[in-house]
Amino acid sequence: MRIATITFQQNAMSQMQELQAALAKTQNDLATSKKLHSAADDPAAMTQVNQLNITLSASTQYVTNGNSASTNLKLEEQAMADATNTLQGIRDLAVQANNAALTASQRQDIAVQMQQQLQDLQAIGNRKDSNGNYIFSGTASGTEPFSQVGNSFIYSGASTVNQIQIASNQRVSAGDTGSSVFMNIPAGNGTFTTSAAATNTGTGVISVGTVVTPAAWVPDTYTISFTTPSNYQITNGAGTVVASGVYTDPNSISLISGIKVPISGTPAAGDSFTVAKAGTASAFSTVSNLVATLNSSTLNNAQIATQIGGSLQQIDNAITHLNDVSASVGARINAITSSQTSAQSEQTNLTASISQLQDIDYAAAITQLNTEEISLQAAQASYASIAKLSLFNYLK
Amino acid sequence: MSDILSTSVSGLLAFQRALDVTSNNIANVATPGYSVQNAHFTPQPGQATAAGYFGSGVTIESVTRSYDELLAGQVRSSQSGYSSFNTYATQAGQIDNMLSNTTTGLTASLQAFVNALHTVANSPSSTAQRQGLLSQAQALAQQMQNYSSQLSTYSAGVESQLSSSVSQINTLSAGIATLNGQISAGLASTGQTPNSLMDQRDQMIDQLSQYVSVSTATQADGSMNVYIGSGQPLVIGSTSQALSAIQDPYNATQHNIGIVTGGSVADVTSEISGGSLGGLLAVRSQVLQPVQNTLGQFSVGLATLVNQAQQAGMDLTGAAGQPMFAVGAVVSNAAANNTGAATVTVTRTSLSSLTADDYVLRQTGGAWQLTNRATGQAVTMTGAGTAANPFVAGGVSIVVGGGAPANGDSFLIQPTAGAAAGLSVLLTSPTQIAAASSIQTTAAAANTGTGAVTSTVVSNPSTWVPGTYKITFTSATQYQVTDSTNAVIGSGNYTSGTPISFNGASVTLTGSPVNGDTFSVGAASSSNIGDNSNAFALVDSLGALKFNGGTTSLSNVANNLVSQVGVLTQQAQANASAQKSVNQSANDTRNNLSGVNLDEEAAKMVQYQQAYSACAQLIQTSGTMFQSLLSAIHG
Repeated sequence: MRIATITFQQNAMSQMQELQAALAKTQNDLATSKKLHSAADDPAAMTQVNQLNITLSASTQYVTNGNSASTNLKLEEQAMADATNTLQGIRDLAVQANNAALTASQRQDIAVQMQQQLQDLQAIGNRKDSNGNYIFSGTASGTEPFSQVGNSFIYSGASTVNQIQIASNQRVSAGDTGSSVFMNIPAGNGTFTTSAAATNTGTGVISVGTVVTPAAWVPDTYTISFTTPSNYQITNGAGTVVASGVYTDPNSISLISGIKVPISGTPAAGDSFTVAKAGTASAFSTVSNLVATLNSSTLNNAQIATQIGGSLQQIDNAITHLNDVSASVGARINAITSSQTSAQSEQTNLTASISQLQDIDYAAAITQLNTEEISLQAAQASYASIAKLSLFNYLK
Repeated sequence: MSDILSTSVSGLLAFQRALDVTSNNIANVATPGYSVQNAHFTPQPGQATAAGYFGSGVTIESVTRSYDELLAGQVRSSQSGYSSFNTYATQAGQIDNMLSNTTTGLTASLQAFVNALHTVANSPSSTAQRQGLLSQAQALAQQMQNYSSQLSTYSAGVESQLSSSVSQINTLSAGIATLNGQISAGLASTGQTPNSLMDQRDQMIDQLSQYVSVSTATQADGSMNVYIGSGQPLVIGSTSQALSAIQDPYNATQHNIGIVTGGSVADVTSEISGGSLGGLLAVRSQVLQPVQNTLGQFSVGLATLVNQAQQAGMDLTGAAGQPMFAVGAVVSNAAANNTGAATVTVTRTSLSSLTADDYVLRQTGGAWQLTNRATGQAVTMTGAGTAANPFVAGGVSIVVGGGAPANGDSFLIQPTAGAAAGLSVLLTSPTQIAAASSIQTTAAAANTGTGAVTSTVVSNPSTWVPGTYKITFTSATQYQVTDSTNAVIGSGNYTSGTPISFNGASVTLTGSPVNGDTFSVGAASSSNIGDNSNAFALVDSLGALKFNGGTTSLSNVANNLVSQVGVLTQQAQANASAQKSVNQSANDTRNNLSGVNLDEEAAKMVQYQQAYSACAQLIQTSGTMFQSLLSAIHG
């Protein structure tokens, strides 16, 4: 076959150029340690890298979110632990005050201490986080949640708490509203509340009572009225007499279906007690009512005993409730920790996948570099040797 | 003896000319486009004698070049192919590189924006976090503007290359026409082919094939006609027709290719293929414009989703949320040759129907017809084109106003082309970010269950009826929703964490409410600024499948764009590389026929040199013979 001299020259040149270009590319891969420089190198891999990077970036953000939620929840947990301690202190004072031998002024001394504790409790409820946001005011983060109006406390925060996203399909509440923590505490024994009329003159003290047959309990407001110190009758909310009987101390009045409400002491004729369907009560109002009771100069011992008994139950309810909320907060912190742990292992996998798609395999790249080097050397050597061949060399 | 002398002289002369040809071949060993020439010897007619015919020497009949028109055609077509794909790959590669960065690319920036939203949601009342979000929004807008201005720069580059290619083509075709004239004149006067002129012409046609795909036809007078595209004549004999870069009827900054025939210009853009001109036209319509439009679709999507959420929310000052992004409007241009007085007003109406395509609205036979500009296919419109009942198609509504249209009047409608360049952040203060919902749910103080509110948002602003609503639990598992007149507008079974939706609002409750518990839903109090429900609503809507008929999310739009440009670039690179090999092999085949081989020339040189020496020797022999005769006569 006839080969033009120019063909030989041009082909040798372009082959060497191509080998040099290939070497430059391999060298660039090695220098950047990447094989995927732009989408044109491998569009499918680039699409995947972008997707994986989105997932990786989101996963990193979820870990940050989790830290933020944990911080909030730990502050809340601490506040609730402090509130529980304060309530425990108040309970101790109430137990101390629940002693018929105490004089009015001794009770008032206890009331002063209790009032101080109440203020501590309110301060805990109105605690702020490091950003100056109230912990317990929900989404109304700049509004002081708890304030006192007369003897009762009102909640001014929001009913909503913020959710924080801790995984692609998981959001947790980063707190609890003050109303759910301190205000909506089940009253009485959770089913009904008992109280003595302020006008009672006898020494009858009604206990918080117990539920005997839950299914038989018909929620209503019942009044137990003593017509004589030994005879009582029970009327329901509509004023209908539902039962009556003879009172012997200590008797459990069990004529209201499903429950037992023992009344101890000696009621006087005309005394009355109320059994009502339980609502909710706030921890603050419970304490503040108790302080008012201890400060009262008009209540007799029996009335005071009834009130303190009810309040103790109420304080226990509050402590139990705080523990329940704490448990839920603890569960959320655990959920965050576990989702962070899985996020971290997910991130490790994602980083590995991304690296596999876009980073070079050094062994392969170096092998390729060597191969290309040898090819170029061979091309150069063969060109140099073939280019010397010419018939003109022999025409002398 | 005089025969010997004259025969030898004819040999001397012939071999001298043959050595001339050889030396010319050797001298042109490196000349591109040179075809090796051969001297053709032919014996001179013999003298008839009784003893037979005696030859009277040799003469050079012609000098021809080694040339094959088929091989030349193969070189040109592969050259056009290579040049077209290579231009395409170079241009598309720039855009590919622009979009491909995995750390600063569009998908990464969008995710950074979403992350900043999460950070705001973590601490909604912190202005530092809000500033972070605002900065991300600005960075995103800036990125779109940068992309857009880079694309404009590339487009301007393509337009100027188009113009310069056109003038190169015109120079070459004029040169070919001139050479055609000289070649046919030379052939006519001598009957011999003017080889070097023909080489020169072939080389010019080769060069022309780098700019545009050509076909040729050799004429009997030696001239060569050159055609481009689908047979548009560029050179006929010794006359050439000029191409011209003409303004696009809808956009004066964009050029089409016209051919000037007899004073009028015909648009042949769609006929042009191959060469750098074909590559530039293809990259403009397949990469530059679609990328600009898709970036626009992304920008419109981002702005629409974010602004919708902003407007369903409340900012840090307790005021209603304001739009965060401004985005460039729909571009609608009347054709330069419209004669009627109609005007069009186009607005975007549906994100999910919005496409990255351009459309042409044309008045044909008294009716308006819409076609997809890229595919030329008709697009069905609903409506009548009036303000009350506009034409609706492709996610836009078109109102035709102004005066009466003339038949054939047309408008180019680009729903997204101008959007990315116009993306900017409208908010000036971090407090304006509406992280809180504009509505709020409040649990009644008397509730005894543990039902808690986790989020309240306006999920559908278009159906939301502002007012006060009440969700009342009629049992632990059933609720009903009443409006302010106590009319029941909804009811259902309660599942903790599943949103309760009514009148465009969505309320999520968790926990266990009991019979009789109530939750009231109404306008958010200005104290509810610590809420993050709306930030999450935005996070959700940015991740939702809102595009292309509800099949694609915002980040998919961005990622698909990157991969689409990557695929086009990769294909062009692969095609360019394949065409390069084809071109190289065609070139080799042609060179092997037409190129100079030095060894061959050396051998010929030796052959002619020896023949020349032999002829000279014969002259001497003839002299000796003459001397012998003279001395015999004179004694």
